[in-house]
Amino acid sequence: MSSTLADLSIATFAIHEVVEGTRTGRNGATLVVDVPQLAVGARSDALAEVTVEVVRPDDPVRIANVLDAALPDVRADDPDGTFPGVLDHGRDEWLPPGPIHRLEGTVVLSVCDWGAAGFSEAAELPDAYLDMAGPGADRNPWAGDTAIVVRCVPAPGVPVADADAAVRRASLFAGRALASATIGDSPDRLDVWRHPSTVEVGSDLPAIAAVLQIASEGPLVDTFRLGRAMGTFAPTVVDPREPLTGAIVNGAYDWPAVRNVTAVYQGSALLRALLAGHGERFRMAGLVLAPGYLDGADEKQRAASRTAELLAELGADAAVCTTFSSGNSHTDTMLTIRACEQRGIAAVGLLAETNGGLTDHVPEADCLVSTGNEDELVDAWTPERVIGTDGDARVGEPVPTWAYVGACVETGDARLTAVPA
Amino acid sequence: MTNARGPVVHYLNQFFAGLGGEEAAGHEPVRIDGPVGPGRALAAAGLAPDVTLACGDDRFGEHEEDSLATLLGWLDELRPAVLVCGPAFGSGRYGYACGVLAREAGRRGTPVVTAMTPDSPGVIAAEGAAYVVPTGSNVAAMKDVVPVVARLALTLAAGDQPGPPDEEGYLPRARRTNVLVERTGAERAIELVLAKLRGDVRTEIAPPAELVHPAPAVADPRTVTVALVTESGCVPVGNPDGLPTRRAATWLRYPIDGVASLDPAAYTSVHAGFDTSNAEADPNRLVPLDAARALERDGAIGRLHGEFYTTSGVDTPVASAVAIGREIAAALVEAKVGAVILTGT
Repeated sequence: MSSTLADLSIATFAIHEVVEGTRTGRNGATLVVDVPQLAVGARSDALAEVTVEVVRPDDPVRIANVLDAALPDVRADDPDGTFPGVLDHGRDEWLPPGPIHRLEGTVVLSVCDWGAAGFSEAAELPDAYLDMAGPGADRNPWAGDTAIVVRCVPAPGVPVADADAAVRRASLFAGRALASATIGDSPDRLDVWRHPSTVEVGSDLPAIAAVLQIASEGPLVDTFRLGRAMGTFAPTVVDPREPLTGAIVNGAYDWPAVRNVTAVYQGSALLRALLAGHGERFRMAGLVLAPGYLDGADEKQRAASRTAELLAELGADAAVCTTFSSGNSHTDTMLTIRACEQRGIAAVGLLAETNGGLTDHVPEADCLVSTGNEDELVDAWTPERVIGTDGDARVGEPVPTWAYVGACVETGDARLTAVPA
Repeated sequence: MTNARGPVVHYLNQFFAGLGGEEAAGHEPVRIDGPVGPGRALAAAGLAPDVTLACGDDRFGEHEEDSLATLLGWLDELRPAVLVCGPAFGSGRYGYACGVLAREAGRRGTPVVTAMTPDSPGVIAAEGAAYVVPTGSNVAAMKDVVPVVARLALTLAAGDQPGPPDEEGYLPRARRTNVLVERTGAERAIELVLAKLRGDVRTEIAPPAELVHPAPAVADPRTVTVALVTESGCVPVGNPDGLPTRRAATWLRYPIDGVASLDPAAYTSVHAGFDTSNAEADPNRLVPLDAARALERDGAIGRLHGEFYTTSGVDTPVASAVAIGREIAAALVEAKVGAVILTGT
């Protein structure tokens, strides 16, 4: 029986090559994918068509209309419980699951052209690309991985929320199916993440907490926790290992470069670094999920104050504040930094820049990490093939960085930064 | 030619070019072979100008388009390896001319170094297209600034990238370019916050240099013309002029002379950043024309300006927002507007 403080094991299997075959399986570092069967399994009534395509690093390909990126995961002891709430019926409470098997070197991309499918709700969603080669490959955090592209076409007349849920299930189903090839095998690496409270460390070490800002504003701009749209929520302390398990899934398809795709929750560089460093140079004080993109000034101030209050209750000396998307949410981050500093909690913020600087700034924000300039143009490129659209996909034109999925993500998972030109 | 990549060109005003003092401020642009005035100091520091361009400060300010066309024409012909403008020190007119010429040459691909006081209008005019070396306010700073300018210009003339501003001695530029670094943002954030706990506060993003301070109160609103300006994306139904719904780099204006209030059948919002249902039901909550007319009727304001100004302020790069603000402000000044009611969403 699982307990809230049980260890979390994530077993990683390195994949160096993906080949197509008649039965999905794994042969050492080679993943064999039965592409037609994977597509059949991912279908549902809400989708008129699902196709799967394998795209490799350095392929001269641009992938358009990218919605999400996810790491292929399976719960080895309970495959049906993988991506809880999306691939199963969900649950009310998160508990550390049994061992998770994860493929490294592959990523599952969901692709859907909402506009071509006639959804007016998607009219405001921006272009979203990933380039596997060319000058834009530097902006693709997964350019070195083999992409399993799951392209979905919604069935006519299906409500947008139902179509979106079906797209999400299709891609995560594919991820689980691929990772299932590892069940029963020994991993290349086994990470055992203990709850920080169960690890004795010196109390003289500084305590650092993470603030994971998340927004969830409705269909096509939602984030899901345990399968439910998070909507407007109060700042909440959660187990810092929860996001690593596929419990938080992206369904927000706004600005691509600063989009928190599912993979950045699963692989969170920040949470892994804080958990791994616990007891060495610092103590991991905990994780607060904080709402972003709040509408009113009062709401923003209340959420920032409450986040800082929770951090104080966790005993944090310092906080790393992530940001969800751009513009409005930068004010949420700035107010949170101010509230932290007013409580004596040293705060650092992660923020993407625009041409001309930040959207908002408070004097207390004296320690910021730049995750890149969203507005910088990437040189024009003409790929040999475009996947995901019948449109022009800006082929042969400079592409703004904001259009590249994950390029400037403000969770700390990317290596892009902006420096004086 | 002293540089294989092209000549070194130096820009000066009338005074430093030896054309005369204030009486020569209207001097038209001239082209002189070799170094002149501060150019000789640059030469002593290792950067010998091949050509000197000069223009009177008033001439540049009053005939900017023509003066610029002449100077840029010469630069097109010379294809310099580097252009040095100034130092202008604390001279506003000279600094402005240096900044504008630096900006335009920089945008055409010429590496440019200029020098002036950090608060000079030329720093803003350069718009990050040039390397600006900060100086003191008067010519006494010449001996300190020339070596810095020369070193930077030599680096650029060799086709190399200068190091960071604090190492090379230039002001941080508005332009920020993307680079991939070894460590993730998370790793850098943890290092920064640990350093901060030790009292070593560092940042990768400097605070904004330009803060917007509240304007002084209008002395007597009853005597001024008031304009309505909004970033709420309020436009005529159908958006006939195509105001972008987000990332707008443009603004529009619509006549309201003789209009008592905005009719919901005639005006809407195309703003992509908020739920516009309530605004569409009553566009006067975006552009408060009904309330402003009441103030006008009551004599609380002098009169209402005959147009409202609109853009959609969502996901707008800060540089675009600054440009939109300046352009609208210029139009309002020209229309002799004394106060603005600016509605935000």
